[in-house]
Amino acid sequence: MNIFQRIIIEPFERFFERVLQFLPNFITALLIFIVGIVFGIILKGLFLKFFNAVSLDKFSERSGMIELMRKGGIRDSLSVLLSRIIEWITIVVFAVISLKALEVSTVERIFERILLYLPNVFIASLLLLFGYLLGNFLGRAALIASVNAGIKVSGLIGRFVKFAIFIFAGTMALEQLGIGRETVVIAFTIIFGGIVLALSIAFGLGGKEIARTYLEKKFLKEEEKDDIKHI
Amino acid sequence: MEKIVLRKEILGRIDEIKGADIIVGIPSYNNARTIGHVVKAVQAGLAKYFPDRKSVLVNSDGGSTDGTMDVFHQANVEDFQSILLHHRVGSFFKIATPYYGIPGKGSAFRTIFELSDALDVKACAVVDSDLRSITPEWIELLIKPIIEGGFDYVAPLYHRHKYDGTITNSIIYPLTRALYGKCVRQPIGGDFGFSGRIAKFYLTKDVWETDVARYGIDIWMTTTAIVNKFSVCQSFLGAKIHDTKDPGADLSAMLYQVVGATFDLMEEYSDVWKGVRKTEPVPVYGFQYTVGLEPVSVNIDRMIDKFRLGVRELGEIWKEFLSKEIVDFLYTAERLPKDEFTFPDEMWTEIIYSFAITSHKKVISREHLLKSLTPLYIGRTASFVKETRDSDAIEVEGKIERLCGVFEERKTFLIKKWNNERG
Repeated sequence: MNIFQRIIIEPFERFFERVLQFLPNFITALLIFIVGIVFGIILKGLFLKFFNAVSLDKFSERSGMIELMRKGGIRDSLSVLLSRIIEWITIVVFAVISLKALEVSTVERIFERILLYLPNVFIASLLLLFGYLLGNFLGRAALIASVNAGIKVSGLIGRFVKFAIFIFAGTMALEQLGIGRETVVIAFTIIFGGIVLALSIAFGLGGKEIARTYLEKKFLKEEEKDDIKHI
Repeated sequence: MEKIVLRKEILGRIDEIKGADIIVGIPSYNNARTIGHVVKAVQAGLAKYFPDRKSVLVNSDGGSTDGTMDVFHQANVEDFQSILLHHRVGSFFKIATPYYGIPGKGSAFRTIFELSDALDVKACAVVDSDLRSITPEWIELLIKPIIEGGFDYVAPLYHRHKYDGTITNSIIYPLTRALYGKCVRQPIGGDFGFSGRIAKFYLTKDVWETDVARYGIDIWMTTTAIVNKFSVCQSFLGAKIHDTKDPGADLSAMLYQVVGATFDLMEEYSDVWKGVRKTEPVPVYGFQYTVGLEPVSVNIDRMIDKFRLGVRELGEIWKEFLSKEIVDFLYTAERLPKDEFTFPDEMWTEIIYSFAITSHKKVISREHLLKSLTPLYIGRTASFVKETRDSDAIEVEGKIERLCGVFEERKTFLIKKWNNERG
């Protein structure tokens, strides 16, 4: 009987005691998680109404964001997308808090570090997203403006604007994540400075004839203009 | 609709004048060189044709720095005897005021509407301040159909050089005519007559923060008058000769504002234009005669070069919303030798309708869409210039009529695509 008690009953009692000790934390964690889900859904609804009130979708249509989102396979409107992101961030934050409530030290330490790092990841993702959208939008705007101005290297100008913004956003994102902080900034400065220097030299050497012709046209003789009145 | 606040001295002047029969508005921006002539012509017109009416001449200025408002005040017909047989007997007042809001012609017009509302006038007219061909008869032709003919809106009808007003001839006239069924030849002419009733109606609309406040005002006024069943007529004013409109303004911005305002109106009145099946003429006032016009020089080679550059660089963007047939045509046209270059009416019509549909479905950024139209418009204009090089005014008008016919024929394509599900 003693043996049976020591081998079976006592460990079972100890386990039961631990379960009893752990159960309130578990229930608290579960409750926090459920509250997080409900809170996330409520916040999603509230933000959706707010975004509709400030006509965010109209802005996204006018700025060309919606077009880029569709290209990227996103069919939702910007307001729905952002509301969903807010909902999921809320749920994730509550999930982390609920795991903390379990009071398991290892899990606690890991999630504490994740929790501290999470805002950096979020900001870096936002920087990349906006950099991508802005780069495409301004790149296209520069391309169309250059074509309308009759500049022969319009394509190059459009791509230059687009990739300069991509690189800039990427650099900012990496800096936010703390990856090779100084190295990234120095690399960016060198690359960007290098491109500008290369362009200056290329224009100075290769384009001096063009520059001279342009200046001559501009200052010595008025360019022949159309008399068409479009309106 | 929120009203603009007129300056204190203007309110004082309105109290002093109390009420008036006619108001003539002149929007201006740095037009000191030409506004004097316009003021004198208007003054002579009012004296000659409406001597017994109380009239107000308004200059709505966009902040000129060349003394436009001073010239406006100083300009007067010194000796009416040399122009007219009788002195005018009615009263005549002048008001010059800077306008408020977005810089542009539309904001200037808004101030004129506000003043006509405050003075409770019967008839109004607006004339450009850069006109060199205005005569006193213009005032009679713009005002009389309102006061005596019972019309609410008088659109101008001019003789213009065949290469003048190309946005009107290739886009706005054919499109407006096909959409709303009224043959208003110069829907964005710039000089209009309208009743006090319609001026009050315009003020109820909340459009003064949009492109209507800029170059979009003309098409907005004409379309709003047609769609809301105001009675519309045209007056033949002779030749339109004016200084180049805002030399600094770039073509793509102009195109963006005018075409953008037209597409906005298509959005607002889609239920109206979808039901219009036939076009009808609009009554014309005034004695029509032929006039000599100043020659217009055009550099076709440079225009075709701009079109080619556009196709090479923007072709990928157009592929997103133009049909394969049009895109193939554009690439073929880009490779054609300059002397064989042509841009048929059918292709041009489908391009304009496709741009309207894309704007409606919001497939790409509206600004990018409309500004990317510029090289295509230049290509189309180059083709038109080539085709009509040896044509006289009647033949050119015939070509424009043909284009209008194509716009009307293809309207079913527009309606079908417009009604398709978004996306």
